[in-house]
Formats: sequence, structure tokens, C-alpha cells
Amino acid sequence: MAWRKWNYILHRDVGFACIGLTLLYAISGVAVNHRHDWNPNYRIEKTAAQVAPLASGQVDAAVVKTILYQLGENRVEESFFQPDPENLWIFVDGRVVRVHLATGTVQYERVARRTFWYPLNALHLNQPQGSWTWIADLYAVALAFVAISGLLMLRRKTLRRGLLLTGLGVVVPLVFILFFLQ
Amino acid sequence: MSRVIVALILVAGLLLPGLVLAKTFGKGVTVKEATAISVLLDSPRTYVGKTVKVTGMIVDVCESRGCWLAVAGDRPYEQIRVKVTDGEIVFPLEARGRKGEFQGVVEMFELSREQVIEQRKHHADERGEAFDPGTVTGGETIVRLRGLGAEIPGV
Repeated sequence: MAWRKWNYILHRDVGFACIGLTLLYAISGVAVNHRHDWNPNYRIEKTAAQVAPLASGQVDAAVVKTILYQLGENRVEESFFQPDPENLWIFVDGRVVRVHLATGTVQYERVARRTFWYPLNALHLNQPQGSWTWIADLYAVALAFVAISGLLMLRRKTLRRGLLLTGLGVVVPLVFILFFLQ
Repeated sequence: MSRVIVALILVAGLLLPGLVLAKTFGKGVTVKEATAISVLLDSPRTYVGKTVKVTGMIVDVCESRGCWLAVAGDRPYEQIRVKVTDGEIVFPLEARGRKGEFQGVVEMFELSREQVIEQRKHHADERGEAFDPGTVTGGETIVRLRGLGAEIPGV
């Protein structure tokens, strides 16, 4: 039958077109699923340092400069904030220097985007929005087509196995919806 | 077939500019006049449920999901948190230290001591830091913005 031939051709070609995005969503999916175990977007390095202790209370830009000088930072412009009189946070080019004034202990936090994972995860979570929403929607429709056209490819020989595996794929999320999300 | 592939590449090229991460987050900022964070913290009940704009330096960002940020207040030691729906808006960690404009609906929560402990423990876990529940002496009133949009130059 002609429709079977077209169903096969479209299933195959749309499937080929979906490979890239399927891999992207699959790889990134595993990464973001385990965000409790690691940060999939950033590599955050925290190191300790020490500066001379200072009196607690409100500090000014001159004090901040002195602290940065002790840490070997030669920045002229910087932003800083005190969450309370004991602590000082200094922001230097995306890095954060957290100083405990009374003890002079410093936590130096350097942040770097994960070159491979960040863009993948950003696309997975539709961070760019705009035109990427259209691409992701198109991909979703294509994936649905691949699924339905795959079902239509079932023949007598593979009917039982096909229905069994399809049923399994439906039952697993249903079990979670019924027993774990109520 | 090769013409189809070339056409697809051209279409992708046209769509690429949309992939550049914009400095506008969510619905952006449309409210004209900013409300001082100190005013929100002093009289939150006046503003609960209202959409406001605040401005200030970003002093903290959710490390794991980018689902909230904290903006420094206009008085010492004060900050307000802007919480957004996970995935709808993702604030980059690099935004810390930058100044921005934020629009959102004012929310207020009365938290018991147990809830404060739970919340601080959660934030400490996010940072991988230790947390001592003994530092929490009682309940707290939390004032925050349910973030709808933001403008952060340079991120």
C-alpha cells in the first residue's frame, strides 16, 4: 500500500532529522536530572585565603581596595555588599570574595561555565526562548510523528512485541503519575 | 536533497540570532518608577500582591538552577530576593556584582522557626556549606518578589 511506503519514508527521514536534538535532550537530560550531585552548568572553585582581621561594621571602598590588594587583585572598579556587619562580599569580574571581617578569613569563589554542558542545558531548558521555542516545538511535533508513524509500521509478525513494548512505555510514566504524584 | 540541506542551514542561520542570550529576562521590565527596597521591607503589607520594580546590585544567585537572585537594598545589610519559576527564567551566576532592574509581585510569608531552619538548610545545601540550626532564634517574616522579568546589562 502506498501509505505504508510514505509512512516508512517519512518515519525514516524525520527520524534522521531528530537525531541531533534527541541526543542533545538525552545527554543534557541526564546532566540536569543529577543536579543535586553536581552543578551541570558551572564549575565552582572555592579556595581559602587570609587577610588581616578588620573591625566589624560598615566598610567603605578604601577598605575593600586594601583587602583586594592583600589578595593580589589589582582591580580599580569593584562592587561590594555586606549581608551583615560581620561579613563582606566583593564581586570582581564574576568572582566572589567572601570576607569574614573579624577573623580575616576569605573564601574565594571562582565560577566558570562548563563549555560543553552549559549550552546543551541552556537549550534543553529553553533558556534562549524566542526562535528556539519554535525549534523545540517543531522537534516535539516531529518526535510525536516518529512515535505514531512507528506504531503504524507494526505488522502481524511484530504486532505482539510492538504492543507489549509500547504498553510498557506508557505504563511506566502512568505508574509514577498514579502512585508518586498524588 | 542537497538543496534541501542548504535551505535548512540557511533557515537555521536566520534563527541563530535568537539563540544569543539576551540581557532581558522573562517579560522584561515595564513598570516606570522603581520602589525602594527599604520601603518594601518597612511596609510590605501595603505592597503585597502589587507589581513593582526594584533596582540594585545583584549580590547572590541560585547556584544550581538560577531560579532566584538577591538584590542589595538601599540601606546597609538589606537585600530582597527575586524568585522566579524554575526554567521560565534562568539567572546566570555571572550576574553577581552587576546592577539591574527587576519587576515582580510582592509576596510576604510568615515563617516559623522550623520553616526558617528548613529554608536556610536548603540554601546551605545548595552552596555546599555547613549550617548550624542553633543560629536561628525564631520565626521570620520574609518579603520577596515573585519575579516576572529583569533587565541586567552586560550578562
